[in-house]
Amino acid sequence: MYAATTSVALVGGDVRPVEVQVHVGRQSEQFKLSGLPDTAVREAKDRVRAAVMSSGIRFPNRTVTVNLAPAHLPKSGTDFDLAIALGVLAASKEIPQPGRAVVVGELALDGSVRSGPSTIGAAVLSARIGIPCLVGRSMAGEVAAVPGSRVHGVASLSEAVEILRSGLDEVMGVDPSRPDLEDADGDLAEIRGQAVARRALEIAAAGGHHLFLHGPPGGGKTMLARRLPGILPPLDDAAAVEVALIHAAAGLDRGLSRRRPFRSPHHTASRAALIGGGSGVAVPGEVSLAHRGILFLDEMAEFPRGNLDTLRQPLEDGAVTVARRGMTATFPSSFHLVAASNPCPCGYLGDHRRPCDCRPAAVARYRRRVSGPLIDRFDMVVKVDRLESMEGGESESSQQVRSRVTAASTLLASGSVEQHRGALSLLEAALANQILTARGVVRVRRVATTIAALAGSEVVDEGHVSEAMALRAEW
Amino acid sequence: MVSEPRRVPVGSDGYPVGLLDLEEPPPIWLLGALMERPGIAVVGTRRATRYGIDLAERFGSVIGLSGWTTVSGLARGVDTAAHRGCLRISGHAVAVLGSGIDVCYPAENSGVYADILDGGGAIVSEYAPGTPPDRWRFPARNRLIAAMSAAIVVVESASTGGALITARLGAELGRPVFVVPGDVDREMSEGCNRLIRDGAHPVLGAEDLVEELGLVVGPPAPVTRPDIGIPAGGAQIGELPSLWSLSITESLAKLGRLEIEGRVKRVGDFIVPI
Repeated sequence: MYAATTSVALVGGDVRPVEVQVHVGRQSEQFKLSGLPDTAVREAKDRVRAAVMSSGIRFPNRTVTVNLAPAHLPKSGTDFDLAIALGVLAASKEIPQPGRAVVVGELALDGSVRSGPSTIGAAVLSARIGIPCLVGRSMAGEVAAVPGSRVHGVASLSEAVEILRSGLDEVMGVDPSRPDLEDADGDLAEIRGQAVARRALEIAAAGGHHLFLHGPPGGGKTMLARRLPGILPPLDDAAAVEVALIHAAAGLDRGLSRRRPFRSPHHTASRAALIGGGSGVAVPGEVSLAHRGILFLDEMAEFPRGNLDTLRQPLEDGAVTVARRGMTATFPSSFHLVAASNPCPCGYLGDHRRPCDCRPAAVARYRRRVSGPLIDRFDMVVKVDRLESMEGGESESSQQVRSRVTAASTLLASGSVEQHRGALSLLEAALANQILTARGVVRVRRVATTIAALAGSEVVDEGHVSEAMALRAEW
Repeated sequence: MVSEPRRVPVGSDGYPVGLLDLEEPPPIWLLGALMERPGIAVVGTRRATRYGIDLAERFGSVIGLSGWTTVSGLARGVDTAAHRGCLRISGHAVAVLGSGIDVCYPAENSGVYADILDGGGAIVSEYAPGTPPDRWRFPARNRLIAAMSAAIVVVESASTGGALITARLGAELGRPVFVVPGDVDREMSEGCNRLIRDGAHPVLGAEDLVEELGLVVGPPAPVTRPDIGIPAGGAQIGELPSLWSLSITESLAKLGRLEIEGRVKRVGDFIVPI
C-alpha cells in the first residue's frame, strides 16, 4: 500500500527533486503530511481530497501518510498537490504506479489543475534526469521550450489519471511555444538628442559596465535606462532557463522569455526585498531577479545608505547567499547596475530654467548618501540634461545599436582585444599628471577596451582611451 | 595673502577712485590688493538657475581674461559663479561684503573667499571686522559695488532683488548697465527684461560684453591662449560636438586627450580651457 511520485522544489535558483512518498495504512481515516510543509503545502490535504472526489474517484477512508523527502528541506507552495493526489491514488490501487515522471501542479476543488511557479522547475528537472514531466496545461507549452525536456500538459486530475493509465511513453509531449522578443520598454529611436548619454548606454551594454546617470528631473534618465535591455543581446537558452528559475522561486512567471530582466525597485524597498529573504524558504531579492539583466536604482540617493551598501557584496561576487531559518540558499546575482539620481534634493541644481532652492550643505549631504565604495563601482558617470528644444534629427533604433553591441560583446568575450603601447603610455601620463587615480586607470582601461571592441578593433589605441577618459566624471 | 585687514581712509593712497563718485564716500576696510583700473560688476539673483550660473561664470572668466577686475558680492548664486569664473582663469577678483571684512557670509563660500585672496584679489567692506551679516547692510553694500565698477552686468534677476538696486545705483552714478535678456515668462529673467525695457544695454554673451567694455573703459589687455575651440567661459560636454563639428565619439576622444595634456580642466559639469 505504498507509492512514490517525483515532484520538484525550487532552491536557490536551482531545482531539487522531491520524492512524494505515500503510504495508505489500515487504521481509521486520517491524513498526515510530513517533510517540513508550510501552510500552503499542509492545506493540500483538503484540496487533494476534494479534487479526487470531484473527479469521481474513491478517496481511501483509511490512514494516509504523505512524506515529502528529503524531509529536512522546507517545502512551500501549492505545486505538490497533483503529485500527492496521484501518489494517494496509486497507493490505494486506484491507478497504476505513476512510475518515472516529474509531477507538478496545484489542484482546484473541482479537480482541475492549475500551473504554479514550480512548473518551469518540472521541465528543468525533466531535462536533467531524462524523464517526462506532467504539469498544468496552461503553462505546458511555455515550459516545454526548456531544451531536452519532455512535457505533458493536463487540465484536470482525471486527465492525468488517463495519461498514466495509457502509459506516459505512449503519449506525445506538447510542442514548445516561444515568446517573441518583444520590445516592451520602448525603442532608443524615441529618445532625441542626449548623444553623450546614448553613447554611454551603448558602451555600458557592450562591456557590462555599471552606469550612473544624473541630472534634473525630466531629462530622460529613466527613459534611457529602460532602453538598455533592448540593446543587449538576448538571453540564450541556458540563461533564459536560469533567469526563469530565479523568478519562479520568487513566485513570478516570466516564461522562457529571452528578454533581459529589468528590475526597478522603489527606494523604500527593504534590505530583504533587495538582497533576498523569505520566511523559512529563501526567496530571491531584486539583485537576483535582475540576474543577467539590469538592476535600475532610480533616485539612488533616496535609498537608505545601509541598503545601498548591501549591494556591494552581490556586485562583487555575482551571487548572494540568503540564510533563513531552516535553510541557506545561494542565488546568482550577476546584474548590470544602472543608477539615476537628481543632482540635489529639489532636483533643479544645474537646470537651465528653474532655480535650485537647496542650500549647498544640503546638496553635499544628499550626495554623501551614496557611499564612495559604491560610486567606485560605476565605470561611467554621465550627466543627463533636460532638452531645451527638439534638437537632433532621427535617432538610431535599438535594433541598430544592438547589432553593434552584440558584435562587440562577442569580440570582448574572445579576449583578443589588447592594449596598444600608445594607449598605455597615455594612461601613464594621466596617472602622472594626477588626472586619474590608480583606480581610475583601471576603470578607464576597462571602458577603453569596450570602446575598441565597439569600433571592431582588436587594439585599444589612444583614441579609445581618450574617449573613455571623457566619460568618467565625478558625482 | 595679506592676513591683516587694513583701513583705507577716504581719498588716501589706494582708495578706489570710483567710490569718490558717491555722495558720502565711506572709509573702507581692505584685505588683499586692489587694481588701479576699475572693475566690472557681475551681479544677479542668489536663486540662480544653471543658465544664470553658466553665464555668470563665463562673464567672470572673460572679464578676468581681458585684464579687468571682476567685482561682486560673494552672495550665493550669480555672485559666487562670477567670482569662480574669474578665479578659474586666475583673474583678479574683488568681493565687496555686507558684513565685517573677516566674516565670510554665506559660510559655505569660505573656499571662494580664500581663493580670492590666494589669487591676488581683494575683499572690501565698509564695516569694521567682526560686524555680523545683517540683511539691511546688503543694499548699502550694493552702492559700493556699483561705485567701484566702470560697468555693471546683471545676469539673472527676478522682479525684485539686490541686483536691481545695484543696477539702479550704477545708472545713477553714470555707469553703463549691461543686462542679459531672457524669456519673458521666466521668473529669473523678469528683472533683467524690465531693465532692458527701461533703457539698459542688452548683451548677448561674454564676447559681446568685451566689445562693449572696450568702448566704455578703454581697450582691454587680453591674455592670449592657444585656441582649442572652447570658449574662455567653458563649455558643457554635450556642446562639444557642435563646437568642434565632430561626431560624439571623436569629440569625446579629443576631450580626453586635451584633459590628459592638461589643456582643459573639469569644473563641475564644465570643460574649461587652461
